[in-house]
Amino acid sequence: MTDPQLVALAQQGDLPAFEELVKKYQREIYGLAYRLVLDAEEAKDLAQQAFLQAFVHIRGFRQQAQFRTWLFRIAINQCYNYLKSKKKFGDPVDCEEFEVVGEGSPEEDLVAQEEHRRLYAALDHLPAKQRAVITLKLEQGLSYDEISAVLGGTAGAARVNYCQALKTLKKYLQNEDEHEVAVRSYPKMVARVSRR
Amino acid sequence: MKWRCALIQRWLPAYPDGDLPSFWRERIKSHLKGCPDCREELAGLEEVVRAVKTAPAPEPEPAFWDNFNRELHLKLAQSVPAPAPSRFFRMPYYLVGAPALAVLLLWVAFGYLKPDQPVLAPVPQVAKQEKALEQMAPPPQVAKQEKALEKMAPTPQAAAPVPEATGSVVLVTKNGQELSPDDDPDTLLGDLDTTLAGMSEKEKEDFLKQVRQHEKDGSCIRKSSTIFSA
Repeated sequence: MTDPQLVALAQQGDLPAFEELVKKYQREIYGLAYRLVLDAEEAKDLAQQAFLQAFVHIRGFRQQAQFRTWLFRIAINQCYNYLKSKKKFGDPVDCEEFEVVGEGSPEEDLVAQEEHRRLYAALDHLPAKQRAVITLKLEQGLSYDEISAVLGGTAGAARVNYCQALKTLKKYLQNEDEHEVAVRSYPKMVARVSRR
Repeated sequence: MKWRCALIQRWLPAYPDGDLPSFWRERIKSHLKGCPDCREELAGLEEVVRAVKTAPAPEPEPAFWDNFNRELHLKLAQSVPAPAPSRFFRMPYYLVGAPALAVLLLWVAFGYLKPDQPVLAPVPQVAKQEKALEQMAPPPQVAKQEKALEKMAPTPQAAAPVPEATGSVVLVTKNGQELSPDDDPDTLLGDLDTTLAGMSEKEKEDFLKQVRQHEKDGSCIRKSSTIFSA
């Protein structure tokens, strides 16, 4: 069944039809919430809350936009509310929560985990809106018009946010690289000095 | 960095996916051919995009989704979809305000069609009377008279409801009925200000004596004495 058919059934109070929609979009909504709040447990709660809100207000959905976009908007609003209420902006990322299960050797897994950590630490420096734009653009593959429909504002503003977010990410990742090089070169320098 | 590079690099992050106006796409393309700095910048940005795309949010285990769906099912079963919003609220916001505007316009038009009934109540002329009184009574004497009135008025009478500070003294009988100026022309209980304004100092004292006499008789009590506080 297509989305509009499932939505029409859900609007008549058909719970299984709505659960079908939930199964279809739960991964995307969870991923979006996770990117925004950077906390697995909170992301789960927020995704559930978003689906609950969608079910409660489904009769107000007029099918003028895509159901997926409408759902994204609800989820992002939930995340914004959470971030505002908990004042989570700028909190450090708990790197222990990430468990990157790779298919390669343990060394490759370790490298991937390290990259993951660096990326999420850099993402944490972004404002919530830019994080949302990055996720919608790169993970969900939305166009700037669709992003503006989800987040409000214009397509031009979404593009500017995206460009700014990428530049900020690049800056933080580069800085960390430089920092890493400095830290790694330190023992060598110490060895050289001691030899003298 | 040249100013041209700075201009190009503003749009560079959006260049790889081609979601740019054709003017900028062509301009960036031609600029990149001859500018190694901007090519390097673009390579850095593409590296960031690759890093984000290859590091999606961690995929939870299947047990997580079972738990997620079970919890959500319970929550959904307990909730009921809200009714669809009425057509009135589906109207554009400027149309929702239209009825209020119509009522306002009708009210104003009705007021103009009936010129004998003023739309707004006339402003009371108390302010003018107060000014006249201030001119007649200098401040030190006013203070004395006020003290004298306060001595005359014991505390229980102050509990009576106080009228608005209109600069007038209202005398009421013990039954609580207000005495109109027509009841006793000697005391002139209604609009005291105008009466006092036309009196000399001696006449004022006589008048206050009459008031005291009325209070002693018990025929009436003083309801308020805001005359000199104005």
